[in-house]
Amino acid sequence: MMVDRRGFLKLSGLSIAALATGLGLDLEAAEAQGYALKLSGCTKIPSICHFCSGGCGMLLYIKEGKLIHLEGDPDNPTNEGTLCPKAASLASVAYSPDRPQQPMYRAPGADEWQNISWDEAMERIARKAKEVRDKTFKLTEEVIDAKTGAKETVTVNRAEGIAFIGSAEVDNEESYLITKLSRLIGSPYHEHQARI
Amino acid sequence: MTNSWSDMKNSEAFLIAGSNCAECHPIAMKWINRAREKGAKVIVVDPRFTRTASQADIFAQIRPGTDVAYLGAIINYIIQNKLYDEDYVLNLTNALYKISKDYKFEEGLFSGFNAEKKKYDTASWGYQLDAENNPVKAAALDDPDTVFSKLKEHYSRYTFETAEKISGIPAAKIKEIADTLCERRPSSILYALGMTQHTTAVQGIRCYAVIQLLLGNIGKAGGAINALRGEPNVQGSTDMANLISNLPGYLPYPTNAQKTLRDFAVKHGAAQQKPMVALLKAWFGANATAENDYGYDWLPKSNPANSPTFVQMYGKMGEQFKLTFSFGSNSLISIPDCGKVGPALDRLEMFVVADVFETETAQFWRRPGVNPKDVQTEVIFLPAAFVYEKAGTMTNSGRWIQWKDAALKPPNQSKPDLDILDHIFKKVRELYAGSTDPKDAPILKARWDYGDPEPSPLKVLQELSGYDETTGKLLPTLGDYLKAPIGTVSTGCWVYAGCTGNGNLCARRDNSDPSGLALFRNWSYAWPGNIRILYNRASCNAQGQPLDAKRRLVWWDDAQGAWSGNDGADVVDKAKGPDTPEGKPAFRMNPEGVGRLFTASYTGGVPATPPADGLPAIPTRGAAQCVDGPLPEFYEPIESPTANVLHPSVSQVPLAPVVSTEIGKAEDYPYVLTTYGVVEHFCAGGITRNIPWLNEIMPEPFAEISKNLGKKLGVKEGDKVEVSSARGKVTVRALVTDRIQTLTVNGKETETIGMPWSWGFASLSPGPSTNNLTMAALDPGAGTPEYKCCLVNARRA
Amino acid sequence: MTTRKMLLIDTSLCTGCKACSVACKAWNELPAEKTQLVTGYQSQKGTTPNTWTYVSFHEKYENGKMHWLMLKLQCLHCAEPSCMKACSSKAIYQTESGYTLIDHEKCIGCGYCVTNCPWGIPQVDKAKNKAYKCTGCIDRVENGLLPACAHTCQTGAVQFGEHDAMMEKAEARLAEVKKTYPKANLYGDQLMGGTTYIYLLTDEAEAYGLPANPSMPISLSLWKDIIHPVGGIAVGAVAAAVGLGVLANAARGNYRRRVADNAEAGSHVDSYGGE
Repeated sequence: MMVDRRGFLKLSGLSIAALATGLGLDLEAAEAQGYALKLSGCTKIPSICHFCSGGCGMLLYIKEGKLIHLEGDPDNPTNEGTLCPKAASLASVAYSPDRPQQPMYRAPGADEWQNISWDEAMERIARKAKEVRDKTFKLTEEVIDAKTGAKETVTVNRAEGIAFIGSAEVDNEESYLITKLSRLIGSPYHEHQARI
Repeated sequence: MTNSWSDMKNSEAFLIAGSNCAECHPIAMKWINRAREKGAKVIVVDPRFTRTASQADIFAQIRPGTDVAYLGAIINYIIQNKLYDEDYVLNLTNALYKISKDYKFEEGLFSGFNAEKKKYDTASWGYQLDAENNPVKAAALDDPDTVFSKLKEHYSRYTFETAEKISGIPAAKIKEIADTLCERRPSSILYALGMTQHTTAVQGIRCYAVIQLLLGNIGKAGGAINALRGEPNVQGSTDMANLISNLPGYLPYPTNAQKTLRDFAVKHGAAQQKPMVALLKAWFGANATAENDYGYDWLPKSNPANSPTFVQMYGKMGEQFKLTFSFGSNSLISIPDCGKVGPALDRLEMFVVADVFETETAQFWRRPGVNPKDVQTEVIFLPAAFVYEKAGTMTNSGRWIQWKDAALKPPNQSKPDLDILDHIFKKVRELYAGSTDPKDAPILKARWDYGDPEPSPLKVLQELSGYDETTGKLLPTLGDYLKAPIGTVSTGCWVYAGCTGNGNLCARRDNSDPSGLALFRNWSYAWPGNIRILYNRASCNAQGQPLDAKRRLVWWDDAQGAWSGNDGADVVDKAKGPDTPEGKPAFRMNPEGVGRLFTASYTGGVPATPPADGLPAIPTRGAAQCVDGPLPEFYEPIESPTANVLHPSVSQVPLAPVVSTEIGKAEDYPYVLTTYGVVEHFCAGGITRNIPWLNEIMPEPFAEISKNLGKKLGVKEGDKVEVSSARGKVTVRALVTDRIQTLTVNGKETETIGMPWSWGFASLSPGPSTNNLTMAALDPGAGTPEYKCCLVNARRA
Repeated sequence: MTTRKMLLIDTSLCTGCKACSVACKAWNELPAEKTQLVTGYQSQKGTTPNTWTYVSFHEKYENGKMHWLMLKLQCLHCAEPSCMKACSSKAIYQTESGYTLIDHEKCIGCGYCVTNCPWGIPQVDKAKNKAYKCTGCIDRVENGLLPACAHTCQTGAVQFGEHDAMMEKAEARLAEVKKTYPKANLYGDQLMGGTTYIYLLTDEAEAYGLPANPSMPISLSLWKDIIHPVGGIAVGAVAAAVGLGVLANAARGNYRRRVADNAEAGSHVDSYGGE
């Protein structure tokens, strides 16, 4: 963007009409006008904001697999390119140095994490799930009919010892699989943010 | 939301009460401002003058937790002055229905109260039924048994003056609000957690339903009750039933009282039986057959005596729960009375957390004041991909299911939660391989096939959308699901049926708006059936023609013999005329087919003569019930600075479960605390406190107090103030402001303290957690905690 | 031919969400700075080399009514910019779209622009020895995109377009807003030759902490238009005439880095004015 005044005058032909077309703009051609635009050569991939339930559209500008810029998607009819401060800041999550690098395990009584592989993480989780499920499983229970007072044995297939929390922070497909996973292994004990 | 964000541009007025949308749902302001350009008025009711209030034509400062009082006064005013939409009330609500002669309301209690069990028997809240089990309708509204008469009588106690005494809002201001809503139709009511986080949550929102039904403001462009859902996919996660009380698509969860599918159908009706079977087909595929009750036994049955909701779950950790999974939830910060959460997690054998950042919850074992050596819980942290690093859909508050592709690869070793869940299930299944133990059948008989080695989100979405199980082909539309015989189709969530039937409709990006009503019907897909404005049949007259020429949503097209329109018609059958049982009801999901001013206990389609086989009959569907009363009634918060002026002997909701063990009294904790978010941070801050740009624009938590209270405490702007409740204390910066005024409540000066709650001990911007102060007392129906009001004390720190 | 643009900040619609500040940083890749609350919800005290726009908050409680004024502040891009006139290295220039920009290859960080801006907008990065401020997102605008702040603003408080059309819009909006806020006024169009970024205020400028009548410092006019064009520099001789601002700079030693000839930049202002 380092352009001197004379340079600027050379490239002053671009029409404001381009604004009306949102991003229906040929960025390569635009750059040829003189002002270097860091978006030129980027692929635009739309996404959805991850904060409130507005479902505002975001556009990610990607070049060689790297995120160059993130801003509001002008084509999304809900937000028409606009974003609140939280959404506008979201580019910074992609390469945040504060994101954990790999699965971590914290042993009983330990005061630090230790890095583990995904295989080890899955192995530990599945074995614990089986252990707790087997130990706390209730195949049937006695139920007293509220109207007749009669006792009855009902198949309940419940793993009493396993609970699930979440999530309003994941995609539908993920949220659905949490429900399906928890029920299939026997836990109706599944709650999340919608309750609070 | 009954409508959508963009539909707000069609409103003539807004009541924003229980929402601070300029901060917590900023996109709302874009569409509200479109309406304001055309003259719409904005009313904001809030305990504080918020950034939303800065845009209001009318602002009213309310004492936290007293919404039902002023809303009841508005209902009373509408009825007394006959300002209701008479056609709408007569034809589209249950106003004329006769209520049981046993129904009563006395001294703060409805009929049927069982003091020992703290529960209502709702039998006396039913309709008078005719010989065919249909509700009896009166000839006129003034029949003493009608819903309308009950409503009128109930709210006659709610004068503007009484409401002022309770809420602190001047009577004249309440009248101004009422007049604005009556004069400007259609209007949209916006609410969020400010309304739901009370022990009177459901009843407060029921007031909105009563007001909007009386004013004829539901089912119309610009006429709405818009619940501004709180998280990016909380609409979707509720649709997907990440809740103990449901299965996907709002199916009631089967309990141990429903031993068989038949029992389930008898209890909940044929309307729930069909989607239940479709869900079982989605989960167990060919293994689900009519002979084995479609695998109904394989679903874990909940035990009503032990069905803890979110906040109550922590009390069961250790004793009952040994292993807990947490996906994207920072509960250590977000649960009320959050000091109890850490010790609960300490009692687990294993805690598995998947998240984008290492939240406070993930490192509960090294929270301040705790020696990690004393915490025996094994903890596994799984680094999760962020929203734009994975493909899939999220459902916004307007029920738009929006697809996105992955834009970036997850960094380092992070994985989408989808992959994590898929791998956990496959690994567990592997461990049970070959087992013949009946208890392992649900795992081994399940259909779980989304691809290898990584699952495809589209395949999961297609399961939600549904298959014709006889051919294995995708169900083209919701209509195809509805038409199909039971047991021949599957859908993982019936309200999503058809969303990928003709290609991935959720990925559609045509933003054209031919009607000018901002419906955008070719952008993504809205459930159910791509209807953008629910109950839109109510926008038409009896002949099926639009009532408002400027806001034409749907209409009956005689020439075509079908419902047509700018939106999809929300009718049972689009080929059936406006006077038929399939084309007439505006509220087809209610068994009565009309809007419910009074939430009567009622089950539709109960045959007059029992079935010949001697088994109990399967009705059509039951009506939703409010467990704490068929009409909203004002109750004080559990911690309140004053007595209930309407019925001092029943001051609080008698049914509210109080989980917190320490309850404060006004003598010790004289001020009312209300808690909230700010635009710069999100919820428990797990993401936003790790974003430097956001920490820059909101670097720290604070307590907002009035200038009067500042003077009294000797606290100036910028001083540190210690706020304490019976449960904990925190010290933060004080903001001394005119935006909170001292209120006069019940003749006494009452102070409100406001505090945002998004901070915790970790992240780039640590800070004290406000939820150390709040109270875990729950709405008896919804289970939402009363975050919005508790009692505190304050002093200069 | 590029035409003159305008950015209208309609404070009656601003909710102080600060998205403009974040979007500005995201586009311009400016790092976050450590802050604490200044007063109310305001965390950024002013512009810095890394904060080119921020929102200030002002509370006014009158007759039982609360007015919460929020002001997005950044360079106003004056038609007659005193910063440009003051610039010692001819680093500050104007564009036909109405922007005042700093050429960082020429900027030597003397700080004259800082001292002479009526709003205190440009700020010198001490490490880089360069002054920084809002660029109007010239790179975006010249490539057909909205400035980052206008692109992100959800309430419609920040709007961008052709100067004349926007001016019409501003006048129409003012007439509307005056019905609610009788003291509403436009701020900028009559100042410093007419600014490219203008405000619709709902109250007097002072209520927002803005100078009511900002003008080119007399000292600067004297220095640039009268004394300096005539001859060389003799700090001792001119000090008496140019006033405190310049004295302060002299005291800080800024003048030692001044490049000799600024006359051309001065004449440029004149040629631009009145467009």
